[in-house]
Amino acid sequence: MSSEISKKQPRPDFIRVEDFSFHYGEKQAIFDIDMAIPENEITALIGPSGCGKSTLLRNMNRMNDLIDGVRHEGDIRLDGVSLYDPSVEVISLRKRVGMVFQKYNPFAKSIYENVVFSLRVAGRNGKKELDETVERSLRDAALWDEVKDRLHDSAFGLSGGQQQRLCIARAIANRPEILLMDEPCAALDPLATLKIEELITTLKNRYTIVIVTHNMEQATRCSDRTAFLYMGKLIEYGKTVQVFENPKEEQTESYITGRFS
Amino acid sequence: MPPEPANNPDPRRFEVSKATLWFDRFMGWAIRFGGIGVIIAVFGIFWFIGKEVIPLFKPGAVVKAASVTSGTTPVILGVDEWGEMPFFYSGGNKVVFVDGETGARSEREVPGLEGQEITASSYDPLQRRIALGLEDGRVGSFIVGYERLFENGEPKGVKPFITAEPWFELKNAGGPVTAISYGDAGPTRIMAVKTAEGKVEVIRLGLKGGLVGGKKLSVTAEVDITPQISGEVALIRASQNGQMVLVADKVGKVSYFLADTQGVTKRQEFTPFGGQGLAQMDFLFGGVSAILTAEDGTQEQWSLFRKTEDAERLFGMTKDFPDVGDGRVTFAKSQRNRTFLTGAGRGLSIRHSTSGVVRWEGTVDIDPAAAILDAKGESFWIASETGEARKFEIKDHHPDAGVQAFFGKVWYEGGAGPVYQWQSTGGSDDFEAKLSLVPLIFGSLKGTAYALLFAIPVALLAAVFSAAFLPADVKRIVKPTMEIMSSLPSVVLGFLAGLWLAPILADRVPSVMMLVILIPFSALLVGYVWCRMPLAFRNRFEGGNEWMIVIPFLALAAWIGWSVGPLVEKMFFVYVEPGTGKRIADFSLWWPQATGTSFQQRNSLVLGFIMGFAVIPVIFTIAEDALSNVPKNLTAAASALGANRWQVVWTVMLPVASSGIFSALMIGFGRAVGETMIMVMATGNTPITEWNLFSGMRTLSANLAVELPEAPDGSTHYRTLFLGAIVLFAMTFVLNTIAEILRQRLREKNKLV
Repeated sequence: MSSEISKKQPRPDFIRVEDFSFHYGEKQAIFDIDMAIPENEITALIGPSGCGKSTLLRNMNRMNDLIDGVRHEGDIRLDGVSLYDPSVEVISLRKRVGMVFQKYNPFAKSIYENVVFSLRVAGRNGKKELDETVERSLRDAALWDEVKDRLHDSAFGLSGGQQQRLCIARAIANRPEILLMDEPCAALDPLATLKIEELITTLKNRYTIVIVTHNMEQATRCSDRTAFLYMGKLIEYGKTVQVFENPKEEQTESYITGRFS
Repeated sequence: MPPEPANNPDPRRFEVSKATLWFDRFMGWAIRFGGIGVIIAVFGIFWFIGKEVIPLFKPGAVVKAASVTSGTTPVILGVDEWGEMPFFYSGGNKVVFVDGETGARSEREVPGLEGQEITASSYDPLQRRIALGLEDGRVGSFIVGYERLFENGEPKGVKPFITAEPWFELKNAGGPVTAISYGDAGPTRIMAVKTAEGKVEVIRLGLKGGLVGGKKLSVTAEVDITPQISGEVALIRASQNGQMVLVADKVGKVSYFLADTQGVTKRQEFTPFGGQGLAQMDFLFGGVSAILTAEDGTQEQWSLFRKTEDAERLFGMTKDFPDVGDGRVTFAKSQRNRTFLTGAGRGLSIRHSTSGVVRWEGTVDIDPAAAILDAKGESFWIASETGEARKFEIKDHHPDAGVQAFFGKVWYEGGAGPVYQWQSTGGSDDFEAKLSLVPLIFGSLKGTAYALLFAIPVALLAAVFSAAFLPADVKRIVKPTMEIMSSLPSVVLGFLAGLWLAPILADRVPSVMMLVILIPFSALLVGYVWCRMPLAFRNRFEGGNEWMIVIPFLALAAWIGWSVGPLVEKMFFVYVEPGTGKRIADFSLWWPQATGTSFQQRNSLVLGFIMGFAVIPVIFTIAEDALSNVPKNLTAAASALGANRWQVVWTVMLPVASSGIFSALMIGFGRAVGETMIMVMATGNTPITEWNLFSGMRTLSANLAVELPEAPDGSTHYRTLFLGAIVLFAMTFVLNTIAEILRQRLREKNKLV
């Protein structure tokens, strides 16, 4: 129900990145990025390798905290609250902000247990709730029909594309508000990629999605907005149509026309 | 036209340089050679150990070696140390010697007879003494000795000689002596005699020193024991310790007399075969056990032991041997161990009393009337009434070995029942070796169990903490430190354990108990309080720096625990002295009183602590690596799904790292089982079989280290130690194999494909 309410009035600056800089030890990966990501839209982060797009994404649920020797300046606000506020509990933050990784990474458990992992760690073990969650999440991830007869088989028995969809099902099982996707199709073949893209589009209404991608077509096909990052700086950010058809910056144009990558 | 270099590239560009090929080939061979070398070395070790051990399990073998004729009907048969020249004594005034090789016959006169008829004789091969009883009631003896002859420095033949010994006039007896037995323990000697009138006497001999001249052997007591014996006497035997006499009557009742400072007293009467007469009764080597054979061939061993701790040492049946069969019973005991030759008629067997097994069984081609084992136990002679004699060589180097002796319960001499016992050497020649490996196996298991009991929880929890909680900069210090710890020489650790830690711990057991309770408890308490602190405060220590908070509390808990130990001791561990009722607060006194088990300073607690230093780093390092190598994308996925750090460990890291952790445990186990120096120095090395935390143990490895240097090459003891090595290897091999199977299953279950 809550998603319907929020659908009525999507907040335009649901995620606010404010003068954000980020360092891995001595190396600065992000320079003063400032952007607002609206609710219930798909925002694509594009740019050449090492431009900082993944780093930016991984800061949105503080996954970079797990890395040793990192440091940041500026702030990221989620619905107005700083992620770095002392009162923020990282674990509950990560429950709000789900994540799908570049390489599909199901646990060495059954399909069923993979999906309900986030509920289990939250101590929710009611059979009915778990069953419902599994079906809903797998349906949302367009995987239900393929796996409904073997929910208790190992997740490793699935194909790569199925495993990635399982990871998406796992990420949305606890109904996060935001879904971060770090090149979700990088390890998949074109057919599986297509399926994931379709899935992402259908998820749009319910989740705010930030997706990192190397694939220009994917950005144009799926996203509402596109941000182009280069050398840790935000070069251009706007509606996808505008960025691709009428880029304001020369660097953006060079990149999307394939003059450098 | 010269070809253009661009269009005609160097044709040698596909060639591989000679040096590369040569090196590749050389390395290929070197690796092959190394690999095969390792395999050969391993099998070589097996071969060597197997070569040492296999003889232990060979049964005895007997080969006929010589055949001679003496022309006399022997009552007594004796032989020299090398089994070369037996003597035959028929009870007359001549001793006949026959060379075993040539058959040459010679005679010697029995000294000091003064024309009297010999009416009784017996032989003690240990002292090489023939004891005689005469028609006129005199008793005496002479020695049949042999001198080794040499030719060109090589031993060649023996020369017999006879040494006269004093004669003694019996005061009470008078008349012909019909049976005699002589037991000699040097300064104290005993003789048991029976006369034609049916009198039985015990004569004690002693060395009486005159002021002038040397000490002279003379009768110190002559005791008539006839009234204490009900039936008609059949057999009398005096023991080699010069203190005991066994008298058997015609209906198989045996009376045991002890000659000690209180004189000669009857101590016991027993009927081994329920009214059946005895065909044979003799003390075994050592004089603590006797072998008794009934007329129907049943054979038993009776030994002296205390039934309860305060009881008197009396005879009781300890072993039941297979029947010897029908016919005239032959018996000859070994002069160096518990082996004896026995049999009935032509069927003979060599038996060993410790394990109660038959070492060899066979038949001979003459009817033995007398038999003798040579002093080295390498051959035996038998002689028939017709004057035929045979020599048999015995190939039985390890009569006291065998599966039963190593792994079964054995009723040793002097013990109240069958036990597992290890005591390989003793102070005297007649010591009965106790070679059960069970206490050592138990010791190894106990040592390992206590070591791992201390080490595994600490090591695994430390590994989890370091891999999943500790900030990387602290980990960079902790991990190498732990690795350096594993390189501490175990002799240093053992030295510390035995000389420094053991005395401290012995005094502070209650303190240690308090530490064991308080440290984990305080950690839990701090954790509980921590969870209730405001989030903003807790977030200041995020990223694994919570340890800064915990450490002072742990230190405080340790200090408190150590300090209140003596207080706890005063409250709960008060020893009440049984005699005076005095109350002493001392755990080391209280523990034996309260539990009935012992308290030793070098105990399993000390061992557990010190072995921790040896085992924890090993387990920690490998387990930590296994946990750290869990793919980051998995832990990240779990974190991204809202799992807290402990949940990440429990649900993702532990299952994935389980096979690696299992390896860590197995390597830790291997270290603990094989550890030698710490075990030698810190455990007291008592081969006991009890799980008591406050007693020590003797492990197979420590046993090897302690005893191998003093075991004579090729002896039973030496080979048994090698057997211990094989057992140790087998234990680790079996456990490692099981563990490897389990590990493979774990890996299969949690593999990441």
